[in-house]
Amino acid sequence: MTAFTLPIPVIETERLILRGPRESDFEAHASFMASDRSQFVGGPQDRWNSWKGLLGQYGHWALRGYGFWTISDRATKAPLGKCGFIYNDGWNEPELGWHIYAASEGKSIAFEAVSAARAHGVTMGLDGVISYIDPANSRSLRLAERLGARFEREGEVIGHACHIYRHPRTEAA
Amino acid sequence: MIAIPTLETSRLILRGPGAQDFDAFAAFYASPRADFVGGPLSSELSWRMLAMEIGHWTLKGFGRWTIETRDGGDIVGMVGLFEPEGWPEPEIGWDLFNGFEGRGYATEAGEAARAYAYDILGWTTAISLVKPDNTGSAAVATRLGARHDGDFTHERHGFMHVYRHPAPDTLVNGGVEAYA
Repeated sequence: MTAFTLPIPVIETERLILRGPRESDFEAHASFMASDRSQFVGGPQDRWNSWKGLLGQYGHWALRGYGFWTISDRATKAPLGKCGFIYNDGWNEPELGWHIYAASEGKSIAFEAVSAARAHGVTMGLDGVISYIDPANSRSLRLAERLGARFEREGEVIGHACHIYRHPRTEAA
Repeated sequence: MIAIPTLETSRLILRGPGAQDFDAFAAFYASPRADFVGGPLSSELSWRMLAMEIGHWTLKGFGRWTIETRDGGDIVGMVGLFEPEGWPEPEIGWDLFNGFEGRGYATEAGEAARAYAYDILGWTTAISLVKPDNTGSAAVATRLGARHDGDFTHERHGFMHVYRHPAPDTLVNGGVEAYA
């Protein structure tokens, strides 16, 4: 048997549960990735690429020991978006990323989820991480600043120019 | 915990894919040999593809194995059970990495993967999708006893031939003796 050091940790917050991706998340994921809202995270994408992306998020946990969580509603269990750590081949370092589906915008869900994910990351050795943010993505920029991250430099990821924000290390936060 | 079974054949070991496969995997996907399976891909996209292979096991409960030689531990390709979005039904798929063609590895590994699908998972039928120009893969399907059984067009991968494998009850001990 080949075994990976999982399962994916489950994180609970006041309103949310962050858990590993499931196949039942696919329709919400594909719908988001087909929409213009996904323009800053590699979309819009067809269903094929969305499906590969969902599987890849799971495999990332197996390869790196950390990865992306599905953000789900504590009460309804519905998937509301994703957040977590991504370190694909060729990236500068692990980044903290997030996206929220349209129906859940404006409720501070991303702030609540990403705060919890970032705190959990510290326990996995991920402290003072970066976030890649497209300068045109004003909502994500605001969230990064609200989270205490600061602009560090201009950079690029897989050929796309973006801004690199640095999150505070826990001792400095 | 994801637990991927290990299968053994006379010359090969089929095991779960992992980070140690990345170099061989990326070299294959960077080469023209990957034209038939969605390539060529950059190193970054190959890494994501490897993550996808692992994720398939988790989400579907089956997936593709890395094929290693028993003698020497060379990483020679991937084989296994694959049912991505938009596929007509679950398939048995194989890729041989550069330099490992022509030795019967894909047939040997494909037979083991099919036996797992039939004997362990209880599949009652299986297909393999083959691009029309991929004569090497079509030859493997034929050696496995599969026969051209219609066509399928995928939104991303385009036009492919459907090869239908012999049903479990026509195989002897999961193998292809009847077709040898």
